[in-house]
Amino acid sequence: MARTKLYTIIYVVLFVLATAQVAVEQVDLLGYWAAIAVIAVLSMVKALFVAGYYQHLVWEPRSLSYLMLIGFVGFIALTVAASYSIL
Amino acid sequence: MSDDDLQTDGGTASALPGESHGDDAHLPPKSSVKRWLVTTNHKDVGILYTVTAMFFVLFGGVLALLIRAQMLSPRAPGTGPLSAMAYNQAVSLHGLIMVFWFLSPLAFGFANYIVPLQIGAEDLAFPRLNALSYWLYLTSGLLVFTSFFQGASFAGGWTMYAPLNIPAFMPSIGATTTVLALLMFTVSVTVGGVNFITTIHRMRAPGLTMRSLPLFTWSILLTVWMMLFAFAALLAALMILLSDRLLGTTYFAATTAGGSVLWTHLFWFFGHPEVYIVFFPALGAMAEIFQTFSGRRIVGRKWFIVSMVLVALQSFIVWMHHMFLTAINLQVKTLFMATTIGISLPFDLMVFALIYTLIKGRIRWDTPMLFAFGSLVLFIVGGITGVFLGAVVLDYEFRGTYWVVAHFHYVMVSGVTALIGGLYYWFPKMTGKMYDEFLGKITFAVYFTGFNLLYFPMFLAWGTPRRVFAYRPEYLVWHQVASVGGLILGISFLMVIYNLTKSLLSGEEAAGNPWPYSTTAEWAVSSPPPMENFPGTPSYTSGVLEFLGDDESSESSSGTAAADGGTATDGGMVVHEGDHEEEVHIDHASYWPLVIAVFSFIAAVGLSGLQLGSYPEGLGGTFYMATSLIGSLGVIGAVSGMGYESFTAHEGGAGEAWPFEGVENTKLGIWVFLASDVVLFGAFIGAAIFIRVDYGWMQWQPVPHTAIPGLVNTYLLLTSSFSVILALVAAQKGSRNGVLAGLVTTFFLGIGFLVNKAIEWIELFHEGVWLSTNVRASTYFLTTGLHMGHVVAGLLITAYLIWRAWGGAYTDGNDEPLEYFGLYWHFVDIVWLFLFPLFYII
Repeated sequence: MARTKLYTIIYVVLFVLATAQVAVEQVDLLGYWAAIAVIAVLSMVKALFVAGYYQHLVWEPRSLSYLMLIGFVGFIALTVAASYSIL
Repeated sequence: MSDDDLQTDGGTASALPGESHGDDAHLPPKSSVKRWLVTTNHKDVGILYTVTAMFFVLFGGVLALLIRAQMLSPRAPGTGPLSAMAYNQAVSLHGLIMVFWFLSPLAFGFANYIVPLQIGAEDLAFPRLNALSYWLYLTSGLLVFTSFFQGASFAGGWTMYAPLNIPAFMPSIGATTTVLALLMFTVSVTVGGVNFITTIHRMRAPGLTMRSLPLFTWSILLTVWMMLFAFAALLAALMILLSDRLLGTTYFAATTAGGSVLWTHLFWFFGHPEVYIVFFPALGAMAEIFQTFSGRRIVGRKWFIVSMVLVALQSFIVWMHHMFLTAINLQVKTLFMATTIGISLPFDLMVFALIYTLIKGRIRWDTPMLFAFGSLVLFIVGGITGVFLGAVVLDYEFRGTYWVVAHFHYVMVSGVTALIGGLYYWFPKMTGKMYDEFLGKITFAVYFTGFNLLYFPMFLAWGTPRRVFAYRPEYLVWHQVASVGGLILGISFLMVIYNLTKSLLSGEEAAGNPWPYSTTAEWAVSSPPPMENFPGTPSYTSGVLEFLGDDESSESSSGTAAADGGTATDGGMVVHEGDHEEEVHIDHASYWPLVIAVFSFIAAVGLSGLQLGSYPEGLGGTFYMATSLIGSLGVIGAVSGMGYESFTAHEGGAGEAWPFEGVENTKLGIWVFLASDVVLFGAFIGAAIFIRVDYGWMQWQPVPHTAIPGLVNTYLLLTSSFSVILALVAAQKGSRNGVLAGLVTTFFLGIGFLVNKAIEWIELFHEGVWLSTNVRASTYFLTTGLHMGHVVAGLLITAYLIWRAWGGAYTDGNDEPLEYFGLYWHFVDIVWLFLFPLFYII
């Protein structure tokens, strides 16, 4: 089944990206804040793969993706604004 | 469909076939107590909400009168009817009870009863969850009542500011119980929010587009969307506070920004939307009443709706105007002053639309209209006086004074005023009886006089410090006038209750539509409506409301209950066309929601005795421990019982479902719940980041010494996500063994995750790193602990799925439960993908 093959490829990619996150810290080539940025991007990419394919959002009505996006924007707004407020 | 068509969708019910449903779909009669314990029908639940809310307004009102008695003259501590501590409790619990246990629940009494009728649905999407919301609301309120008998209830104000809210300053068990009660209420609200969002989006009648949705339903829809995200932030705040109180974490112990300002951010991210959560249903009721009693569609209806949507969105970007006196920087204060001014603009538009509707219409001053009009007047005063508080410089002067108290009550109690108008407006529909109109008008006069005598003097005595019973002698007369006003306002509530109770027992019979010019669908059926609500399948496809019979309704094949009769509107008169037998059996009764709520109450009482992670020695400690154990096991058992219970509800989806066409109710419900869980975890992660910023974020500072255990757990969860998706693939192929293999693998990978985590925690404990060691350890243990709780819940569901799959379920084309569980489990996986780097790497 085509989907099974796709799910397997994504599983391997997720596995590799998780390992890469630890490697970024261990190798420590990028400097602290650049490394954090890379690690954060890797987390986002992994999350998008799981949500998009394992939770089937790429095949669902776009409104469900927007729904989750609204929650995510709420989290970012709270975190960024609150943290900025005490800088 | 043009807006003008909306004026033709009402009608007068006459000899409706639904009235012959004497057995109420196998429910006990309304005179039986059992009926009210087991019912899941939205109309019954609506009545339960309404009656219970009226009980809590008396509870909160008595506390208010105690406050006013204490304020009759400036007092030294220890003088007057209340001790200082009793006064603090009265002030705090008055606020909490009125905001949480009275205002919103009264609105949701109407929402439960009216919204399904307005949208053409037979019930809410998840009737048992609706009953669960109610019972959790009631038992959480009883928990508040209990808190007074556990030393002392919460005494730190309704905003529960840190660090006053931690045990060092508020050690009583009753204070913990109050927080637990609020948490239980928050769960109730979240469950209700998921239910209403699913219902309003997915269960509208054919032809009832979003644009033509009645304004009250619009107001409830926006309210529940705000609730979904705002209450998730409150839930996070309460869970963290409870952790500080019960387990000894140190989030709010610090007096730096990391403690007290963190609480204000979490609380007001919820708290400002809460103002609109409370007010929007009142605004919706006001709009409906204005339309009916002015005989005119609201002016600028489309822009009225756009304004409500804008306010709902903007409500999440103004919260820091409550924090102008904290240590936040001037730039962010200025930004939030601007956003606060911005949110007043759509409100201006709505107020002008309401005023212009009255100017264009011919007003009939019946009791609902008097209250709705009074509400508008009070809201205008409240709104204008609030503008002062949105300006940074003026707020420095007014914050913490009676100006805030007066403004706040003019806004919030104006909402109450509109809802009282709604109570009179929908009373005939809900009971089939007409209230006493003369007494209603007298009541309004008493209410409006009492209200203004109570709250307006507070503007004049604005220099009085808030929440303090000592004040300057020159304010004496104003406080005495306010106390007299409070008594008069209290009497007016008793008059409302007397009028409605007497009318219920001996009032005149109310027609299906007692109000000329009403335009919404609830008035097109009998008063009260029959169990299935409509005499046929409601449809707006022709441009007006019609009730279609079986043969006319193509929707009956899609899982909705078949129509039990047919009627059609013709110039406002509903005409009965014939009777048909119901084809699909719909359930309306279940004990489980009540049982879950009772055990939740017991568990919460037990948990309240926990201190720093353990129960105290002696009989009291044993009682609390046993109670929490019994309650927790009872909740797990009752949830399992409800899951196993056979219960058929209306599926909906046959009509309008924008923007979720093709997404089944349960699936949408899960996605909506997950969206709120994003904010819950987001608030926990945001709190951890905020604290780290506060302490100076400069270098790698993972809590565990090595990332390897965390990486192993990442592998385990990713693999479990993969095995869940393989189980779904196997189900689609009809392979029972494949399903079992996938689920069993998932189960053991989840167990592996927990075991690995337990080893990691035990190692940290041996090294002396405990939840209370420092705030960094607190954030690590609590956030990953919350995630572990989600894993444990997922494993319990997995065990249930394995048991069902063993019996052959899911391979017969009914693989939705596997898919829906997968949505949850993958979400748990995604959360870990963020927690892992946050606590193990960076």
